[in-house]
Amino acid sequence: MAWVAKPSATEQIERRDEPYLTQEMCDQLSRDILPRYETKMGALLPTLHMVQHAHGWIAAQALEEIADFLDLAPAEVLDSASFYEEYWLKPKGKHLIAVCRSIACEICSHAEVTEACRKRLNIGVGETTEDGKFTLIELECIGACGGAPAALVDETLHENVTPQRIVELIDQARDHDAL
Amino acid sequence: MAYTPKTNFPILTKRIPTRPWGDERQRHIVRYDEYVETGGYVGLRKALSMAPGDVTEVVKEAQLRGRGGAGFPAGLKWTFLPKIEDVNSPGPRYLAVNADESEPGTFKDRLLMDFDPHLMLEGIAICCYACRIDKAYIYIRGEYHHQAQVVEEALLEAYHHGVFGGAGLMNGSDTATGAPWKVECYLHRGAGAYICGEETALLESLEGKRGWPRVKPPFPAVQGLFGKPTIINNVETLAHLPSIIENGVEWFTAQGTESTIGGPPSYGTKLMGLSGHVNRPGVYECDLGIPLRTFVEEYGAGMRGGKKFKGAIAGGISTGVLGPDQYEAELDFDIGRKYNVLGLGTACPTIFDEETDMVAVARNISRFFKHESCGQCTPCREGSGWLFQLLSRIESGEARTKDLDLALEIATGMGAMPGTTICGLADGNNWAIRTIMNKYWGEFEARVQPTFVPVTMSVGAAANG
Ligand SMILES: Cc1cc2nc3c(=O)[nH]c(=O)nc-3n(C[C@H](O)[C@H](O)[C@H](O)COP(=O)(O)O)c2cc1C
Ligand code: SF4
Ligand code: FES
Repeated sequence: MAWVAKPSATEQIERRDEPYLTQEMCDQLSRDILPRYETKMGALLPTLHMVQHAHGWIAAQALEEIADFLDLAPAEVLDSASFYEEYWLKPKGKHLIAVCRSIACEICSHAEVTEACRKRLNIGVGETTEDGKFTLIELECIGACGGAPAALVDETLHENVTPQRIVELIDQARDHDAL
Repeated sequence: MAYTPKTNFPILTKRIPTRPWGDERQRHIVRYDEYVETGGYVGLRKALSMAPGDVTEVVKEAQLRGRGGAGFPAGLKWTFLPKIEDVNSPGPRYLAVNADESEPGTFKDRLLMDFDPHLMLEGIAICCYACRIDKAYIYIRGEYHHQAQVVEEALLEAYHHGVFGGAGLMNGSDTATGAPWKVECYLHRGAGAYICGEETALLESLEGKRGWPRVKPPFPAVQGLFGKPTIINNVETLAHLPSIIENGVEWFTAQGTESTIGGPPSYGTKLMGLSGHVNRPGVYECDLGIPLRTFVEEYGAGMRGGKKFKGAIAGGISTGVLGPDQYEAELDFDIGRKYNVLGLGTACPTIFDEETDMVAVARNISRFFKHESCGQCTPCREGSGWLFQLLSRIESGEARTKDLDLALEIATGMGAMPGTTICGLADGNNWAIRTIMNKYWGEFEARVQPTFVPVTMSVGAAANG
């Protein structure tokens, strides 16, 4: 829900010395992305994507750094960042398991897929495992309705997923990390 | 009457093997060289030899209707831009390519971006030339990671071969106007918000803001992205342009169908995505006008498990459902008026078999709209929430008869454009829930407990006294 209230302005944010938005990122953005848009704010979504890609989530301090870089008020950055579901303003697990819950997937047994994930990971939808490895979510239609039920494991789409298959994929991701 | 397709060759799927013409296992990403070897960028070259206004005129005469949902004629939309003569005056104008594809049931644009990205890019170039546009943004939904990469690679190739950037379209080819026309084209990734598919929300999102639809007018063709004249077209709409320019108006209008109710025609083929309880779901290219039954039985290899057809979402959940007696519905732009649904939408039907719980379907759909409402308009924000709660209650068996009336009242009251809400999302919610409830009323009624209305009345001797 994009319109839910935001954290209070008096909330203290955690800080660290090292910037989230590095000089290297700023240089790349200035060179490749900013010239594409008529306003600096136009580069906000690409910038948020870049920070999230590098850190897995977007910390409050990063929002301030982005505001600084794009000459925006931190509130403007928060306003946009909090609207979009794909931006994580709280840390998430290293791997994101997203099962589609929209109509084509629901009528093709998506619930069994989600259930298999819950059992394997021992967490509920919207939660992260204690070791910080996995976050499980359900998404609305991910554009793979012909291959329902569908799920995204990180950035890879899997179609016609069975409960067994999703467990395999989870295990593969875990094994891969252990290497 | 048996249905025979009018078009017996693939157009949009020419390079993407698809039944009945090709074997899906042979699909692969079509790179620049293969694209050109198979007749790519011929349409663009031809367009450049024509005056921009004449290109627009061809598209207008072909009556190519938008493939993104609303079915608005593309050529006509282009003519709403400020006049070409006025445009040597300062100020850019923009094309925003709608690749946000997030309507549940819809996965057709993805096929083009998965395998034949240059077809879309050629369409973009033609549109930019015709409309004197110098910058195009492809707004692709955030979840399309692989597709974003394919398109990004195709863009690199297109720049490398001088289609975009540099000296001007097609390596600075002279155009009918005498000078080359230069276009920059960029990919812009969304971040998981269905509403950004609405054209003005898409523009807000491109500007870095939250995806809140704008109040219209002003319309984007006059004041769009960054306040400049802007055209918004769907991926598939643009992908039709190269073949139309290459082969002409008569070729295009020979495909598809005329209206049978005196409305505007539905010319051309359409990418149709089939999902739900069928044996062979997928995206197929069909003439507009194909009956749903033929689509399911011939392309989709029939109902899964030999079950009976119970209903179908017409083309993305916003359009509402076709009932059990509407299996013969023709999939063209007349469908809304003929079969009491919102419209053809994205022409991607989701099929339900006889065992489907339609109350659960309504609950699922209402949750989607509650989740995706941007929250600007009260009827949409509040109505979608209440509707989801009521339908959940009905599904769980805890609701009463009066809850049915209340749900129907809310569904009917929200949206009802123009006027009460800013964009069409609320209308989609309205149509989806209202058509399901009306077409499967018995199922809803069977789920609720009767409402007892206490009445006091005296009978017998007391009544006389
Ligand atoms: C809530 C809502 C969501 C929409 N989502 C999409 C979408 O994902 N893709 C799309 O092409 N059009 C979508 N549209 C339709 C666009 O607003 C617009 O009509 C279309 O992109 C115009 O392109 P066309 O004329 O080529 O079809 C949506 C409309 C509404 C009201
Ligand atoms: S109708 Fe709904 S989605 Fe559209 S602008 Fe209003 S609140 Fe937002
Ligand atoms: S409904 Fe699940 S991918 Fe579309």
